Amino acid sequence: MAQKKCYGFVIDVSRCIDCRACLVACSAENKVGMKYTRIWVRDLGVKGEYPNLERTFVPYNCMHCENPPCTQVCVSGATYKDKETGLVLVDQEACIGCGFCVDACPYNARYLDRERGVVDKCTGCIQRLQVGQQPACVTTCVGKARLFGDFNDPASEVSVALKNARAIQRLDYELADGTHTEPNIYFINGDVMDPQVQPHEPTYSLAETSWKSLLIPAVLAGIGASFLGQATFFTKQLVEGEKEFEE
Amino acid sequence: MTNISRRNFLKISGAAAGAVMLGHFLPPPVAEAARLAGQIDADGDGYIPTLCEMCVWRCGVRAKIAKGKVVKLEGNPDQPHSQGRLCARGQSGLMTTYDPDRVLYPLVRVGQRGEGKFRRASWDEALDIVATKMQEIKDKYGPEAMIFSSTHNLSQVGFENLLNGFGSPNYGTQRSLCFNAMIVANLMTYGMEEPARDYSQLKYLILTGRNLTEAISTSETAAFVDAVARGVKVIYIDPRYTKTAAKSTEWLPIKPGTDLAFHLALLNVIIGEKLYNEKFVEEHTVGFDELAAEVAQYTPEWAAALTEIPADMIRCIAREFSEAAPYALAHNGWRTSNFVNSFQTQRAITILNAITGNWGVTLLPAAGEGGGGLGKPPQPPYPRISALRLDGVPWKYPFVPLKLGVFQQLRDSILEGKPYQARGWFISRQNPVQSLPDRNRTLEALGKMDFIVTVDVILNDTSWFADVVLPEASYLERYDPLLPVGNRIFLRQPVVEPQGEAKSALWIFKQLGERLGLSDFFQYEDEEDYLRQQLMPLGVTLEEIKTHGFIELPKKEGGLEYKWNTPSGKIELKSSTLEGAGYTAIPKWEAPPAAPDGQFHLLTGKVGQHTQMSTQNNQYLHKYQDEPRLWMNAQSAEKLGLKDWDLVEVTSEVGSVKLALQVTQAIRPDSVYMTPGFGKLSKGLTTAYGVGASDSVLHVTYTDPVSGGQALSQTCVTVKKA
Repeated sequence: MAQKKCYGFVIDVSRCIDCRACLVACSAENKVGMKYTRIWVRDLGVKGEYPNLERTFVPYNCMHCENPPCTQVCVSGATYKDKETGLVLVDQEACIGCGFCVDACPYNARYLDRERGVVDKCTGCIQRLQVGQQPACVTTCVGKARLFGDFNDPASEVSVALKNARAIQRLDYELADGTHTEPNIYFINGDVMDPQVQPHEPTYSLAETSWKSLLIPAVLAGIGASFLGQATFFTKQLVEGEKEFEE
Repeated sequence: MTNISRRNFLKISGAAAGAVMLGHFLPPPVAEAARLAGQIDADGDGYIPTLCEMCVWRCGVRAKIAKGKVVKLEGNPDQPHSQGRLCARGQSGLMTTYDPDRVLYPLVRVGQRGEGKFRRASWDEALDIVATKMQEIKDKYGPEAMIFSSTHNLSQVGFENLLNGFGSPNYGTQRSLCFNAMIVANLMTYGMEEPARDYSQLKYLILTGRNLTEAISTSETAAFVDAVARGVKVIYIDPRYTKTAAKSTEWLPIKPGTDLAFHLALLNVIIGEKLYNEKFVEEHTVGFDELAAEVAQYTPEWAAALTEIPADMIRCIAREFSEAAPYALAHNGWRTSNFVNSFQTQRAITILNAITGNWGVTLLPAAGEGGGGLGKPPQPPYPRISALRLDGVPWKYPFVPLKLGVFQQLRDSILEGKPYQARGWFISRQNPVQSLPDRNRTLEALGKMDFIVTVDVILNDTSWFADVVLPEASYLERYDPLLPVGNRIFLRQPVVEPQGEAKSALWIFKQLGERLGLSDFFQYEDEEDYLRQQLMPLGVTLEEIKTHGFIELPKKEGGLEYKWNTPSGKIELKSSTLEGAGYTAIPKWEAPPAAPDGQFHLLTGKVGQHTQMSTQNNQYLHKYQDEPRLWMNAQSAEKLGLKDWDLVEVTSEVGSVKLALQVTQAIRPDSVYMTPGFGKLSKGLTTAYGVGASDSVLHVTYTDPVSGGQALSQTCVTVKKA
């Protein structure tokens, strides 16, 4: 059996020109609603006093953490870390749109699509990966700031970029239980240690909200595997109230 | 117009009914062709290659098609301008095709001009109206009373056939609003319009207002980022701290209008300290001694007082630049800060590259977009034209090439009615209401027209004032004539069926030509027939090109030669052409007008998410654009008691607009900045309407007498709380 894969991004901060080709490419590829975006370019702003200025742009999206806090809080089991690729994904058929995972993410990398009643996020364009293509944001990147690949493959573009980097930073975050998120985005050749992109304390987590930590396993157990589909639909209706679903 | 007998009518309606019935069973032609070429499968899914048209750089595109719709655009990895990448505008191209505001049918105005009331018309009716009006104007006032204007594009040959066949000398392009100063300076110095730039061996780069990361040409922008990544020293000169400034080694916030002084001082140091390439100067240039004598007075100390760049810095840059030569490049940009002295600035930059011997290393003769051995449909010679051009070329502007023109002068001649009165305006893929300076004057000029027709995909601000709007197919829905570049020939081909009743420019121009008695200038059956006639001499079939979107022909023997097409056959540091006509033959300091007390220089310039005035209604670009605000330095804002996001009134001597303020460190205290293309008048643009303000309301018309370029940065404004 082939070695386990660990897909993620290397962002060469020195190469990002904030042209936003990646943002449009992602929106078109993934049919992201006009009000939402799955990925960002964080502008750290013009810093300094005229005329001694600096400005850094940080391409940003889901960190596809090794230890993702979002999967732990998911009530319906819709959010999971894909075994084959290591990507953090959402099964939108199973998602009930409760939004706990959005609040649990220290990177603000997820959003609740209110029109569709589901959570959405960067998927590493897994549909493209499956046919041998790179994510849409990566292929179109004018400055070649965004790279994607398997960190477990020493010959991959991301592994090579890490080996040759002048500087490497990772926006790791220590969770309340003492474990670390271990993000799979590595920022190279630039400083991203800025409060604007630093992970923040999740507004929702299992450890801090003890009644929910009891409730979730209870709900899951209650649902039972064979009734999962119907129960999901039922719960969705409960959560969304009177909102009608197109399906 | 045509009499249809009852029998014929029955025949036609019978055929139409048949077509409708058959149409139900026949796949649409684009899908069918792509299926036959193996590009899409039976479900209508696959990829079709074509060329981008979200700006003029023409990147290669692979359009992903699903069930007969474009769902995604990718850069074509085999094409040199895209190399697999597309910028934000290129990525958003499908939303231009699927813009909910697309003009889907021919429109005829029913209300007052500018009211935006139109009715739907059939193509036959609309074309008949246009042809009848154009013919009336021609019969009554002569063909010169019709103006034709269009922006540089691949269908230009068809457009030129219509204008030249019709017999009008009045051809308006956008170029005097953009890069006339650069083109004319290159012609006078090198005898070529624009040399190619090569970054592969570059070690030192001077960018004079060339904002490469926001005024994006994908391949060149990518080459710039690569250069920065490998440590090339970049000197960036701009009153504004742009995203390019953020990537550069040094940002020098030069005083607006003094770029010329900076470059004259570089020449002073390089010549004074004998840092130039003596061998190259000796062998390939003329006029060096006169140049040396002229620039001897332009010391760094002299320039420092004007530019506000320290003399030591200027001296240091001059030394480093010549040290790095020939791996150095002074980029002449598409425009500098654009004052009436910009032509001399451009001349100084071309001379700087010449005397340091960068030719053949960072500057190369351009492969050029011409000929390529392509054929074209046969046509008779154009009628002789005796009327003067309203834009003053060449009688007022002798050095401006006819194909560039002086668009703002054309507009002013309409208003003055001199040397004669223009009556009609045919406008294709162009938006002069927003692109020309002084919008009020442009609207006044439109008001003087008996007839205005536009060819457009949406109701842009100019179409809003048209009498007839002819809906053009977007670039993803049509063929254009082939594009030869070097030994390659590129194809723009439809990847989906046109929305509504939109048609290609090749079709529209032919239909009009036929109605105007100019059929001989349009001898092709349809778009594919036009392309086949182009390919005939090459022995290449259209099908071969359709598969990959381009075809590579055998390379010609030998490399590109340095052939300077000037009167002396050498690089002219002193221009004999300019001298002969009594103009300044060697760059000489010309002081720009100073900003009056309490006023700011009004600067404009591109953002990476939009192309000029044409893309603001694209929903994807709208989604990811910044709110267009007026940039002002924090220190100046404090003096005026203004805060971030305050609504301010900006006033020049020709107009006034209101927009939100952006207080920033990223601009000189004596300047303010606006992004062009916003503040739409047309309510037919539901996405862009109501966003930002239009810079063209404020711009005063100032024309450089040599190149005919509009001095877009010479306007001054006052700012107060609205």
